[in-house]
Amino acid sequence: MPKEVLLVEDSPGDVRLTKEAFRDANSSIHLHVASDGVEAMAFLRRERAHARAPRPDLILLDLNLPKMDGREVLANIKEDASLKTIPTVILTTSEAEADILKSYQLQANCYLSKPALLDAFESLVKSINDFWLTKAKLPQQRKGG
Amino acid sequence: MAQQIGTGIELIARRKDGSEFPIEIMLSPLESAEGILVTAAIRDISVRRAAEKHLGQMEGRYRGLLEAAPDAMVVVNQGGEIVLLNVQAEKQFGYRRDELVGQKVKNIIPEGFAERLIADALRSVEDALAQQIGTGIELIARRKNGSEFPIELMLSPLESAEGILVTAAVRDITARKQAEAYLLNKVEELNRSNEELGQFAYVVSHDLQEPLRMVASYTQLLSRRYKGQLDSDADEFISFAVDGASRMQRLIQNLLAYSRVGTKGKDLLDTSSEEALQQALINLRGAIKDSGALVTHDPLPAVLADEMQLIQLFQNLVGNAIKYQSSGVPRVHVSASKNGGKKWIFSVQDNGLGIDSQYFEKIFGMFQRLHKREEFAGTGIGLAICKKIVERHGGSISVQSRPGHGSTFRFALAGTERKP
Repeated sequence: MPKEVLLVEDSPGDVRLTKEAFRDANSSIHLHVASDGVEAMAFLRRERAHARAPRPDLILLDLNLPKMDGREVLANIKEDASLKTIPTVILTTSEAEADILKSYQLQANCYLSKPALLDAFESLVKSINDFWLTKAKLPQQRKGG
Repeated sequence: MAQQIGTGIELIARRKDGSEFPIEIMLSPLESAEGILVTAAIRDISVRRAAEKHLGQMEGRYRGLLEAAPDAMVVVNQGGEIVLLNVQAEKQFGYRRDELVGQKVKNIIPEGFAERLIADALRSVEDALAQQIGTGIELIARRKNGSEFPIELMLSPLESAEGILVTAAVRDITARKQAEAYLLNKVEELNRSNEELGQFAYVVSHDLQEPLRMVASYTQLLSRRYKGQLDSDADEFISFAVDGASRMQRLIQNLLAYSRVGTKGKDLLDTSSEEALQQALINLRGAIKDSGALVTHDPLPAVLADEMQLIQLFQNLVGNAIKYQSSGVPRVHVSASKNGGKKWIFSVQDNGLGIDSQYFEKIFGMFQRLHKREEFAGTGIGLAICKKIVERHGGSISVQSRPGHGSTFRFALAGTERKP
C-alpha cells in the first residue's frame, strides 16, 4: 500500500523541492498538495473537489499560509475526532520559540524547521520517511473513513 | 510732623560727657489735655553704623574685583540678604543695584541657595573655607520680570567683621543646558536609529534567507542532475551560480549571528568559561579532527557571561586559530589570568600564520578579510562577532602577533566570586 501524504504549503518552490526530496527518499509515496489552509481542510473533510481524497497517513503542515494559517488548520485537525489521529508534523522556516510552543500546545506530533541547505533538507525528508512512514506504527484507518 | 511719624530718622545724640553716638528716632503723636505731645523712641545704632562703615570699606575693596569678574557676582550675608552685587548681576537679573541690596537672595534664587547658607552658618569659618562651601551647584534663578533661567553657582566664603559673608558667582548656563539637552536628544535619536538598524539588518537577513534557499537549492539540483549533459559552458555557469548562492547563504547566516549578538543576547550570568570552551571544541570537532589540531587549556575561571555567546566567542577564535595555518599541526592554547582588578584576561594563542601589525585593528571590522577566497574561505564577520560579543560583556578584544610566529587574541571578562 503506498503511503498517502498531505503537504500543506503555499510556496511552489518548496512544494517542488519537497516532491523531489520524497522522490529520492521513497518513490512510492503519494504526495498531495494543498496550497492554503482552507483547501487543506476541504481535502481532509473530502469536501467539494476533494470528495474522493484519500485519508492521509501523514500531514506536513507549514505555519504561514494564506486564508487559514497553519495554527488554525492544526487546531481544526486536533479538534476533529476522526482527523486527530493523523500524525501532523509542522514543517516551516520559523524557528521562533513562540511558534514551537504554540504548535505543541495545539498537539502537533512534531515540529521541524526547514534547513537552509539542500543536503540538509533532503536528509530531513529522508528522516521523515524513515520515521513517520516506515518505523512508526499508525492506527488502522477505518474502511472508507 | 505727620510725614515723619512712624519712620526712623537717623540723628546724632550727645551724652552728658559730650560724646556723640548715632541714633534712630521714631516719633508718634500722643493726645493729652495739654495738647498734642510727641513720644520719641530712641535706638542706639552705633553697632549698625560700624557695620555699615565696615561694609562701605569692604565694598570699596571688593567692588573693583567684583566688577572685573565676567560672571554675575552677589555677596550675601548669613541672613540671606544681598550685601553687594556687580553690574553683571544687575544685567543678569534685570534689577537696579538699589533694588537688590538689602533684599533676600530668595527673590532672585528662589531655592537651594539660602538653605545652604543656613547650613553653613552652623559651621566654622575654617570648615566652610576648607570645603569651599560648594562648587558648581546648578539652580534656577529668577529675573525681575519673573522669567527663569538655569544657573551654575560657585560659592566662596568671605570672612568679615559680621561673620562669614558668601560670594556667589552666578553663571547663566542656558546655552550649556540647551546644548546638553540637544546632545542628549541626539544620543537618544542615535540609539533609536542604531536599534532600528539592528532590527532592520536582522529582518532583512532573515527574510532574504527564504528566496535564497530557493536559488541555492535549485541551482544545486540543476548542477547535480544536468552536470555533463549540457555543454562545458553551462557546467561552468551553473557551478558559479551554486558557489555564489552558497557563499551568500553563509554570509547571511553570519550576518544573522552578528545581529543576534545585540538583539537576542541573554542576561550575563555566572558561567563556567571552561565548560563554554569544551562546548566550543565539541562544535569544532570536525575541523579539529581534519586538521589534527592540538587544543590545550589551563583551568579556566567562572565569569559573568551569556553562555551561548561565550561558546561562540571561543568557537570563532579557536576556529580561526586552526584555520589560518600554513602547514604542520595547529597548536592552540587557551588560558586566563587576573589583571589585578576583577577582570580575567583570556588568551587564545596559536602557532598559525600570524598577522601583520598594520591589520591589528582592521581584522575586527565587518567584512574585513586578509586572504583571497581561494586561500581561505570566509565571510569576514567572525572576528566582528567576537568584538561585538566581548563589548556586550563590557570588555575589549585585541591581538598580538608577528607574521610567521602565530597570534594571541586577548579579551577581558568580569569574574564572579566562585572559585574556578
